[in-house]
This record gives sequence, structure tokens and C-alpha cells, in this order.
Amino acid sequence: MRVVPSEMYSELLSNLQSVRQNVNQDVVEASTGRSVNSLSDNPMAAGQLVISNAQIAQVDEFSYSVSTVQGSLNTADSALNSVVSSLTQAISVGTEAAGGTLSTSELQALGVQVDQIQQQIIGLANTTYQGNYVFAGTAVSTQPYDATGVYAGNMSVNNVAVGQGQTASLGLAGSTIFGAPAVAGQPDLTFQYLTQLSTDIKANNQNAIATDITNVQSALNNVIAQRSSYGDTLQQLNADGTNLSQEKLTLQEYQTTLIGADEAQVATDLSQSETTLQAAIAAASQVSQESLINYLK
Amino acid sequence: MGSLTGTLSIAAQALEADQGALQVTSNNIANANTPGYSRQVAVFESAPTVTEGDLTFGEGVTLAQIQGIRDNVVELGVQQGLAQQGQVNAYLGSMNQVQSLFNEAQGAGLQTPLSNFFAAFQNLSTDPTDTSLRQAVISAGQTLASAFNQASSGLSQVQSALNQAIPQAVGQINQLTSQIAQLNGEVQSAQNSGADPSQLIDQRNNLIEQLSGLVGVNNITASDGTVTLTTSDGALLVAGQKSYNLTTATGTSGNVDVFSQGADVTQNLTGGSLGGYIQARDGSNGVIAAEQSLDQLAYSVGTAVNGQQELGYDGNGNLATNEPFFTLPANGSANAAATISVAITDPSQIAASSAPPPATGDNGNALALANLENQALPGLGGQSAISYYSDFVANVGTEVSQATNEQTAQNLVVQQLQNQKASISGVSLDEESANLIQYQTAYSAAARVVNVISEIAQTALTLGQGG
Repeated sequence: MRVVPSEMYSELLSNLQSVRQNVNQDVVEASTGRSVNSLSDNPMAAGQLVISNAQIAQVDEFSYSVSTVQGSLNTADSALNSVVSSLTQAISVGTEAAGGTLSTSELQALGVQVDQIQQQIIGLANTTYQGNYVFAGTAVSTQPYDATGVYAGNMSVNNVAVGQGQTASLGLAGSTIFGAPAVAGQPDLTFQYLTQLSTDIKANNQNAIATDITNVQSALNNVIAQRSSYGDTLQQLNADGTNLSQEKLTLQEYQTTLIGADEAQVATDLSQSETTLQAAIAAASQVSQESLINYLK
Repeated sequence: MGSLTGTLSIAAQALEADQGALQVTSNNIANANTPGYSRQVAVFESAPTVTEGDLTFGEGVTLAQIQGIRDNVVELGVQQGLAQQGQVNAYLGSMNQVQSLFNEAQGAGLQTPLSNFFAAFQNLSTDPTDTSLRQAVISAGQTLASAFNQASSGLSQVQSALNQAIPQAVGQINQLTSQIAQLNGEVQSAQNSGADPSQLIDQRNNLIEQLSGLVGVNNITASDGTVTLTTSDGALLVAGQKSYNLTTATGTSGNVDVFSQGADVTQNLTGGSLGGYIQARDGSNGVIAAEQSLDQLAYSVGTAVNGQQELGYDGNGNLATNEPFFTLPANGSANAAATISVAITDPSQIAASSAPPPATGDNGNALALANLENQALPGLGGQSAISYYSDFVANVGTEVSQATNEQTAQNLVVQQLQNQKASISGVSLDEESANLIQYQTAYSAAARVVNVISEIAQTALTLGQGG
């Protein structure tokens, strides 16, 4: 085959360009730490990257929901903890009054004490988290309990997504905890019982006090039972939070396998293509300085 | 019987022939780097013989022909290679711009705005009464809408650049075809008058190669030396000494179409930059197709969000039937990406609640809106927005990746064909040097013959004069 100089030069140029392209690609990979820097580098990986980025965004979102729900539930739980102490205190006041040995004025004082406990519990039932009433159902802007303990909230409860297809309920409606009255418009049972206890203590109605104590005890049991659901949810949320962090980590690792550059490989490739480039440049400087022309005299 | 004058004239002819050959060699050396130049060789022929009695004498040499060395099959291969190279280069140029609009590998594109938008609803579901969370939903919606607008405007810019490039390419094509037609005439008359058209053919081939880079052509050489050029589907470009201009006109869609003698040939053109521009604009994975996909995505997301929004109760406790979240085109998805915008301005208009008052804190509808992220949406072929978009991104990437591979392959093909062409038609300085020596030697030898004949003639003239 005849070889002509113009052919050699263009071949040389195109080879130099292709070697330079390799060096450039390796430099980009090495400097970004990513093997996929444009969609065409690996279209399937780029597509998967979109999905996994969206998944990570959702996981972040779920984590945010978990922490918000945790905040709200923790506030509610600690309020219920106080409610339990207050009711326990009311029972011990009732028990003290049930001895039948106290003077009228002492009984009056105990009755007032029960009234105060009731107000305390109503205050707790109106607890807010970030400006929202936590025991008002979904009517979070409405104060759920008036001074007599009549419930103004609703019985619905918000669920918040805390994972793919997973929800956590934002607590319980007030009446579920404090006992919905038999007749609408009356105070919740807990508050009815406390009012009754106070009235009976003040009237020294010994037989009734015993019944009242039993009633308050049952209200307390209900609060304790309902509160346990808060504990369960919080525990579940802790686990969810951990799972979400783990899931995010897994997704991030997946992304690294999708688009991350193999540093060692890139470094080797880079040094190889640089060597090739040097060789090509050296060849270019050597090429075809000789021809028969040089020997014509 | 041979004569001295006959011998002298043979030597003189040889001198002339060798001079001619030296001129050819010199011309070859001079044109070693001229693009498209085909080396020429001096073709010697022995002159007709003379028979005298029983003896047949050679009558020397003539320079019968100066022949241009070229291989028409390789030349056609180069032209076709250049046409495909031109197409893939032009196509890739535009598709690279499309790709950069959605370069998710660098964080550009719609995934983040889409995710953030649905995330804002998710956030809102944790506290639907929080005005700042409601405001965040509106902001995220505006960001999403403007991401759609920008992507769409980016695609439109690529499209309008293509619409500008097409008439420019057509203008160049017309200029080249008219030059080729003119050269056709010159080649024909040179051939008729017995002159050597080699350099004219080189010039013409050079122009046809340039033309091939602009549009794929079919090339038929007639016996009179003219070439007939048509586009790959047969629209006439050059016949004999006449060229046929392509014309362009802007259609109702705003796209520039190409016409040949009144007929719209836009979709039949392949090869060359022009073929690449048309493929990038109208092809099944081209810019217009990308715009349509984007419109569909914007329309489906917008419609689904509006539909869900209208089922809920806003922050004022009103059923949001007449409070669409997004403003969308009234007649289907066309231009949805370019025009989508957030319709509501008041945060309280977001229908987060699925229950009437006083359930102001109900989050049912906010959750439903957030859940749209993972739902198959109508119009997206059973896919969720993200999954549809992921396919779209992978498609664009695949298209660019395939075109890049094709470009690399095509560059190699053209390189090889051009090497092949050069190895046939290119000037080798070694070869020319050798020829130089050869013809120089031959010239010296012929001159020597003249010398010898001259001496012999002297001898003959002084014959018998005694000395």
C-alpha cells in the first residue's frame, strides 16, 4: 500500500485527538469523583439516579414527618403523664375524704382541691404543640375543652406518612382519652366524675364518694390505657427513624455504585492515557522528517 | 534503413517526453498538500514503428497522456461517509444541548423541583394550619412551574436554532450545486476538446465532498464526464450544466421546511448537516418529541394536582372546587410545560383538609396530594411522574450515547476511506523523488544521444576530407 504524507498527518491528528479525549474523560472522572457526568455517559444509571434521588428526597421527607410527629406525640405524652399524676392525686384526696373522720371545713378544702385538680387536667387537655391543640382531633385550632370539660374538638385524627405506605396517627382525640359523655354537650366522663367527687366530698356524702373514687379510678385506667398507644407509636417512630436513616444510607451507597468513579481505576486509566498521549506526541514530532527528497543532490 | 536525422528526432522526442514527465512530477510535488488533488502520472507510449524492408524500426517515445489517478468507488465511499458523518455531527450537536438541559448527573433538571413540590405537601400534612408550610407549597409549586418553563424554553431555543440552521445549510447547498453544475460544463468541454479534465474533476469532487457534508447525495457520472446529483430520495440537485435549488419556507407550526421544485422533501432528506438538523428537530427522539414529553409531564402533574386540590377544603373551610392549584392550557397538553404556572397566591387557598370545618387541622387532602408523587398519573402511560421523567432522562442519554458511538465509528470510517483515497490519489514525495531521478536520468541519456548523433554527424560531414 502506498503511504502518503497527507494521510499520515491526518491519521496522526485524529489519533492525538482521540487520546486527548480519553485523557480529558479520565481527568473529569478523577476530578468529580463520578463516572457519570452527563446522561450519555451511562443513560440507565442516569435514569436510576433520578429515581433514587427522588427516593432519597422522600426518605428525608418521611424523616421530617417522623420528627414532627415525635415532637407532637412527646408533648401529648408528657401532658398525659401529668394527667395520670393529677388523677392519682384526686383519688388519694377522695380516699382521704372517705375516712368519715374529717370536719366540714376540712372536707370543703378537699373538695376545692379536687376542683383545682380538675382545672389542672382541663389545662393539660388543652395542651398545644406549635400552636395546635394536641387533643382536639383535627380541629386543632379550636380549644378542645371549656372550663367545665365539655369537648369542642372532633373525633378524627390525622395520619402522617412516615414511610412508603406507612402512616402514624398524630395522637388521639380528647374524648377518646377522657371518655365521651353519654349525652352530647355534657362534659367528658373524667370531668363529670371529678365534678361529682368534688360535690360529694363537699357534701360529705360518704356512700357516693366511694362510688366516685371507683369512677375516677376507671377514668384513670382509661387514660393510662390510651396513653400506652402514644408510647407504642413513639417506639414505632424511633424504629422508623432508624430505618429511614438506614434506607437513606443504602440509597446513597446505591448511588455511589451507580455513578461513582472507581478512584483507583480512574487514576490508573489517567496515567495510562497520559503515557499514551506522550507517546503519540513523541511519534508526531518524529514522523516523516525523512523522505527521498533529502537525499537528492 | 535508419538515418541519423531519424535517430536525432527520436532523441529530441525523448527529451520532450521526459521534460513533460518532469513537469508532471513537479506539479505533483507542488500540489502535495492541495485538498482533493489527485496525483497525475505521465503515460509514455512508444511511437508507431516504421518498417523498411525486413526491418522494423522503433520511432521513439511520446508522452501519450497525463492521467489523474483516482478510484471512483472509493470516492463515492468517502462522499457517503462524509454525509453520514455530517448528519451525526449535527444531530449530536443539538442533542447534546438537549441533554445538558436535563443533566441530572450534575443536579440539573426536574427531579429536584418535582420531589420538592410533593415534599412540600408532605410537610404540610404534618401541620396543615401552619401558614409558612402552606406558603412553602406555593413556592415549591412556583419553582416546579418555572423549572418546566425553563426546560421548555431551553428546548425551544434548540428548536429555533435548528430552524435557523436549516435555511443556512440550504443556502450553502445551492451555492455548491451551482458551482458543481458549472464545473460539469467545463469538464464536458475539456473532455470534448481532448484536454485533460483531471484537475477539474478534482475540484468537482472536492465540492461534492463538501456538499455531502451538508446533505446526502446520489452521484451518477455520465459518459460525457458530467455528474448528476440527487438527494438520497431522488430530488434533483444537479443535472448536466443546470443546478436545481432547494428552497425553504416556514410552515404553520413555525418550523422551516425544505422544498425541491415545489415539493416538500423535508422528511425525505437524510445525510449531511441538513439531515442531522432535521433528525434533531423532527426525529422520534428529537427536540419536538422531547417538548411533547415534557408537555405531557407538566400537564399530567398539573391536572392531577388540580383534581385532588379541588376535592379538598381550603384553609378557610371552603370546598376548593374553583381553586385550581396550577394554570394549565385549556385544550390539552400542548404548550403545557411552557405555560404552566401556579394559580393560587393566597396560602389559605391550598386545600389541605379533606373534611369540612371545624376540622381546620385535617390533613387528608394534603396527604393525598403528597401521595400523587408515587401514583401512576393519567397520560403518563401508567407511570408516576418521577418514573416517567426517569425514562425520559434515560432516553435522552441513550440517544446521545448512541449518537456519540456512531460519531466515533463514522469518524473512523471516514478516516479510513480518506486514507484509502489518499493512498490511491495522494502525492508521495518518495515516489515523486524517485520519478524525478528517473526522468532526470532519462533526460540526460537522451541528451547524451543527441550529443553522440551530433558527433557522428560531424564525422559524416567531414567524411572523405582526409585529415
